Amino acid sequence: MKRRNFVRVGAALLAIGISMPALTAGAFAQDAPTEITMLTMGNKPTNGRLEAMLEKLNELLVAKVNAKLDLFYIEWADWQTQYNVQLLSGDDNVDLVATATDWLYAWENAEKGAFLPLSPEMLQANAPKTWAQVEADGHWDLTKLADGKIYFAPEDNYTQYTNHGFFYRGDWAKEAGFENGEVTKFEDFTKYFEWVKANKPDAYPWDVAGANEAALTGYIQGHTDFQTLQGISAGNYIPFHTTAANPFTVTSWYMEGDALVEAAKLAKQWNDIGVWREDALNYDGDTREELYAGLSGVEQHHTQTFVNDIVNNMNTKQPGSDPKFFYWGQENGNFFKDIFTHGAMAVSAYSKHPEKALQVYDLIRNDKEIYDLFNFGIKDVDYVITADGKLGYPEGYDSSTMALGTDYWWGRTDEFELPRTTQAPNRAEIIAALDARAKDYPYSTLIVNKQNIDSTLAAMAGVLSEYIPQLQYGKFEDPAAAVAEMRQKLKDVGYEDARASIQADMDAWKAARGL
Amino acid sequence: MSGTDTARGPKSIWRQLADSKVLLLMCVPAIIFFIVFNYMPLPGAWIAFTNFNYRDGIFGSPFVGFKNFEFLIKSGQLWTLTRNTILYNLAFIVLGNILQIAIAIMLNEVRLAWFKKLSQAAMFLPFFISSVLVGVIAFNLLNYDTGALNALIKQTGGDPIKIYSSAGAWPLIIIMVHLWQSTGYGSIVYFAAIMGIDRSLYEAATVDGASAWQRIRFVTLPSLKPTFIILVLFALGGIMHGNFGLFWNLVGNNAALFQTTDIIETSVYRMVLSQNNFTTSTAVGLYQSLFGFALVMTANWIVRRINKDYALF
Repeated sequence: MKRRNFVRVGAALLAIGISMPALTAGAFAQDAPTEITMLTMGNKPTNGRLEAMLEKLNELLVAKVNAKLDLFYIEWADWQTQYNVQLLSGDDNVDLVATATDWLYAWENAEKGAFLPLSPEMLQANAPKTWAQVEADGHWDLTKLADGKIYFAPEDNYTQYTNHGFFYRGDWAKEAGFENGEVTKFEDFTKYFEWVKANKPDAYPWDVAGANEAALTGYIQGHTDFQTLQGISAGNYIPFHTTAANPFTVTSWYMEGDALVEAAKLAKQWNDIGVWREDALNYDGDTREELYAGLSGVEQHHTQTFVNDIVNNMNTKQPGSDPKFFYWGQENGNFFKDIFTHGAMAVSAYSKHPEKALQVYDLIRNDKEIYDLFNFGIKDVDYVITADGKLGYPEGYDSSTMALGTDYWWGRTDEFELPRTTQAPNRAEIIAALDARAKDYPYSTLIVNKQNIDSTLAAMAGVLSEYIPQLQYGKFEDPAAAVAEMRQKLKDVGYEDARASIQADMDAWKAARGL
Repeated sequence: MSGTDTARGPKSIWRQLADSKVLLLMCVPAIIFFIVFNYMPLPGAWIAFTNFNYRDGIFGSPFVGFKNFEFLIKSGQLWTLTRNTILYNLAFIVLGNILQIAIAIMLNEVRLAWFKKLSQAAMFLPFFISSVLVGVIAFNLLNYDTGALNALIKQTGGDPIKIYSSAGAWPLIIIMVHLWQSTGYGSIVYFAAIMGIDRSLYEAATVDGASAWQRIRFVTLPSLKPTFIILVLFALGGIMHGNFGLFWNLVGNNAALFQTTDIIETSVYRMVLSQNNFTTSTAVGLYQSLFGFALVMTANWIVRRINKDYALF
């Protein structure tokens, strides 16, 4: 008897338990705002500024589309793995996904089904302003896979340059004998480095940490007409190219021509001078801070970093250092404008509220009040507008402890951006000068079928990650022999098959466009 | 529950389980651990045979047979990785056990109680130092520009050595660091085994006039043989698994050292990290597990042939 009673009570409790959420959900469904989560990149701020901003933002979002926004951060430690694993996990709590085709694996993840295909109707209904602007500029084609479906919204309305190069000190270059303190050729940095080595005993000519290939790409880009095919990566390397002379023939500067050997020889010369730490490959210090502290003659990154951070920091921390930027391809004009999918926003394939997610994105991207709040924070607390109309920061503001940190790089718009007090005063001229010379990237709509060559790319990554860092740091006694050895190994793991497969996609793309 | 134990005949399985319920209860956490972390993920190994995509999931993605294993052979690294992994582990097992036994015996012979405790603690401590710290310490000792070792060499008028470019030096460095970290900890097991040896054997040996050395040679060492064999067998099971933390933190991405330092774990880690390649990395993991499994079975079979009592199963 006892047992039967127990079972009855249990069943009753279970029934109540099951029906309760259903009842409450039914009763409040029309009123409760939808929670939208945006996956973004960066270290989650802990200073409370983000939460304060979100509280205000959510009031606006509730009023406009009855939704609330929360941010989910993929932090910088191990971010490549974390990002892909998060998308792989099929987490249905994430609605909007920050992505990019050249550095955040957008194509790979779209192909693997992590993103919801966005139909024109869905975009027109839920993100009408985004739809109209991208459509007017004719950029939706840049976000389609071979199936012809749209997978993300591009950041195509924002001007920036992320072309790489050296930041160096004009004051030192002048003393080293360069006219106006300007270095105009890549190999001329040998003279600059030698001067730093001889005259600045505390500084490394180029304090650089860990595996990279800047010394090689910097040389090759300025001495050849090779153009990199974005989005086909073998590990950290992007090993396929065309040339301006033969724009439809797939090749590779890792495999063809003498430029790689010449670059490797120059790198060896630099290594022998002692341009970098002997153990640069195992060193993991903050080299940008070394530059700010006057302990490095050069730092390598892109234009955006130069105009936003380097100039202001060097002028305050090393007064009179006259920071300058030498970019790869400066000698021969072999460099490109940013692609429009260097930042983009996708909707997760697992999102329970894809329409609502698009509505929120449309507001963040196109509604000035919401854009300002989300990007700059609360006015007069997180930022101020100066008398001359620039975006500045309140008295006592310290960006290392008080930054808002929304890291919104997935749909900015020039129209809402203000010049900032911390930007290089000549930012506009720098951008204009680049605009006048930069080439448009011609292969934005080229889609390469990587499924057949994935294992070859993985094997190539293994070979490249063994040889390139050592070539970059001039560690081989005979660079020419090492390059020959590397090329043979790349051939052995199927370079030619991969090249032929990409060539076939290139031929089809060329034919389809009547080029 | 009691009172029926007088029933005749072999005990039923349920009876045996009921009799050992306290012991079983104590095993439950370990059993749960292995089910959750070692058995439940097993079906996921299927990913190694697919062209994985997120939408279709692990079991819905297209089957591609052994295509993912091709890269292992194509990259030409399979041999280097297998060789490095096995050789390092052999060195760790052989040198490690010899040192551990030697230290356990020496500790046993030490008569001063405070010195015994002190030396035991001193040898035990490195085990608790994170390999991240070990990597940092090694870099600060060994690097070319500012390392302590090279500073000393420079001060004494010598030419600094480029340790982080000399692949040949690293097997020695890695083995030394590993032994430094693990010997103290490992010697505890042998020390405990020595404590468990019947004291009357030593007394009998002393009565027969055996010297200290002879007692070690003819009493201690033979008594340690079963422990030694079991520990070696266990270690052989992991011979295809490297000490990832130590290798990664000491060597990192320094390609100049890969020829002598790259083991399966570090190579797979780099592949996943930079290639987002879950299928091939699973393939490597599967190869590693199957190869390790075959090694354990073979080793156990050999031991069984020599002396049945020493075999694990």
